[in-house]
Amino acid sequence: MVSDAMISIDSITKSFGRIKALNNLSLDIGKGELLGIIGPNGAGKTTTIRIICCILKPDSGDVHVGGYSIHEDQIKIKSMIGYLPEEPNLYERFKARDLLRYFAELYGVPKPEINPRIDELLELVNMSDRADDRINTFSKGLRQRIGIARALIHDPPIIIFDEPTMGLDPATASNIRSFIRNLKGDKTIILCTHYMREADELCDRVAIVNRGNVMDVGEPDYLKSKVHGETILKIKVKDLNVDLNKVQDFNSVERVNMVGNEVSVSLKSRIEIPDIIDVFAGNLVSVNTEEPTLEDVFINAVG
Amino acid sequence: MKFTTITKWEFKDTLSSRKSVMIFILQLSILLLMIVVFNSFVANMESEQGLSIAPSLSGFASVNVQDSSGLFQKRINTQVLDVTSSNYNSSLKKMQQGQSTGFLQVPDDTVNDIRTMKPVNLVLYVDYTDPKRSLVENEVNSTAKTMQDAISASWVGSLNPQNDSEPEFSQKSAGGAMPAQVMDRVMLAILLFLPLFLFGNMLVDSIVGEKERKTGEILIAMPISQAQVVLGKGMAVVLTIAIQVALWILILLIAGFQIKNLFLVYALVVLTSLPVVGITSAVSAYAKNYKEAGIVLSFIYIGIVGFLIIPAVAYVARKSMAANISSMTLVMRLLSGEPVAPVDYLPAILCIVIVGLLSYWIAVKLFQREDVSFGPRPGILKLLKDLVSLKF
Repeated sequence: MVSDAMISIDSITKSFGRIKALNNLSLDIGKGELLGIIGPNGAGKTTTIRIICCILKPDSGDVHVGGYSIHEDQIKIKSMIGYLPEEPNLYERFKARDLLRYFAELYGVPKPEINPRIDELLELVNMSDRADDRINTFSKGLRQRIGIARALIHDPPIIIFDEPTMGLDPATASNIRSFIRNLKGDKTIILCTHYMREADELCDRVAIVNRGNVMDVGEPDYLKSKVHGETILKIKVKDLNVDLNKVQDFNSVERVNMVGNEVSVSLKSRIEIPDIIDVFAGNLVSVNTEEPTLEDVFINAVG
Repeated sequence: MKFTTITKWEFKDTLSSRKSVMIFILQLSILLLMIVVFNSFVANMESEQGLSIAPSLSGFASVNVQDSSGLFQKRINTQVLDVTSSNYNSSLKKMQQGQSTGFLQVPDDTVNDIRTMKPVNLVLYVDYTDPKRSLVENEVNSTAKTMQDAISASWVGSLNPQNDSEPEFSQKSAGGAMPAQVMDRVMLAILLFLPLFLFGNMLVDSIVGEKERKTGEILIAMPISQAQVVLGKGMAVVLTIAIQVALWILILLIAGFQIKNLFLVYALVVLTSLPVVGITSAVSAYAKNYKEAGIVLSFIYIGIVGFLIIPAVAYVARKSMAANISSMTLVMRLLSGEPVAPVDYLPAILCIVIVGLLSYWIAVKLFQREDVSFGPRPGILKLLKDLVSLKF
């Protein structure tokens, strides 16, 4: 449980026909927190997001957003959320500025504030020079940027991004990540992503969702530390005749195994690394350390 | 009232879209073409010679004539009216039984009156509630005018001995304008109702397009109810239709058409667009794609057109109050200058309001259903079952 939760998901279930998309999923998201949701395809990430945004209704359970229930105060909740779906799906014939104005009016942004807000957002997403171009002339990256501006047009306290960097080139993806990073702290953000590095880099906490349930949730470092030791030491040797028991005797060593001429040592701490390397003195080709990643956490949790 | 925002932007989008503007211009061109074609059609009907594409109107309207001299009877155009010799009592009886449209009584001493240059008083009996009466009135007037011209020419000729031209007794105009009058009203009513069916694609694009472009998800995430979304989109189309009908009326007036009770006619046509737009919204809300919506709407529109035209035509052929269920009947009556009692508006207005509200309610309910918007889409039977069990 998170104290001062901005979004509180309480045992929601949702089925589409015979397919159970969510199965008693519960999760709290704190105010000003950036929570990442990771999970395989069909895990229930998008369904969870759509329920929070009041696009779908759960079969059972409830979600409270800023204290409002999705069953009673849908309009209030919707006005608190800026939502960027996986595909920005914008109105093709609109010019960028007109599109933002349209959504500003729908969100009820006061008229005198609309133009300054549009200029500010176009500046933020580096698209001031394309303000009067039609959406159908934009690349996927530019559309995603306009999508972000659209999601922020009413300055919402909560922003939900569903796979914001999916299918983008590395440079544009990096740009989008920096927009999200800049929003951190001010807003409560939910980031749904397939990219573990993205979640690791941006999120305060990460929830691993699979088969409609939260498998694990916590800070990225905490989750990584749960997978196996803190560090994996990889040592390549010339002579394959190595006594692995000598390595196993160190206190910090959890597991040792050898594949080809590479010895992998899973460590609880880094303190004994020099001593372990000494065991292989004269037989060394190279030494590397490998930190566990969220990908390892994900594979470990999802299987 | 956020639906006005949707209406404003949808309408703005229509005006700024090249495709929509092209459709708009194309429709106006078709209207102009129809006026030209219709005028040719009328000209053909008026012509005594040459080919005609006009359908035969024999048996459409009839007149009984009591004319012992035969002077008038033999000059009435039998291609326009069925003419039968009869007496006063028998003719009035036939009119009351709806077997004839009118009765023309020509005085017995007409020949003497003409010779002595006395006025000849023709008496024409018609039923003023019968819309076909105008045919009889016009044909009798036309025949009387022809006779009058011929008698005047003969009289002037007799005063001037140098004028040896033969008095002309042949009828120059065969009275084609008279059936054209009724045709004119029917055609005019059809023309005015036509824009109602020309903007279905705009609404389909607006609602089904949200699914196909996947923009619907964002729209549902907006702080606006689905009912307002559907209403806003529908109103944009009604507004476009209202402008289109106004433009058509303007063009028809410029082209020389007489449109009586202009504002009532305009209001009725625009009002009729409400259920048409409602039904289109409901079909679009359920349809998976443009193609599906297009096919279903083609059939539904044929049904609506039939519902509008058949009572109108039935009213022309045989006056029936039940025909007032179609707003096209009312428009046709208004166009002909016939007085329409307030109670006559009731069936059509009730029909418009009930169908309009029902179709709009269905459209909103369908738009709100997750399974319709995001799938798996339920079948019609499942929807009907939900409707019956109040789970719709």
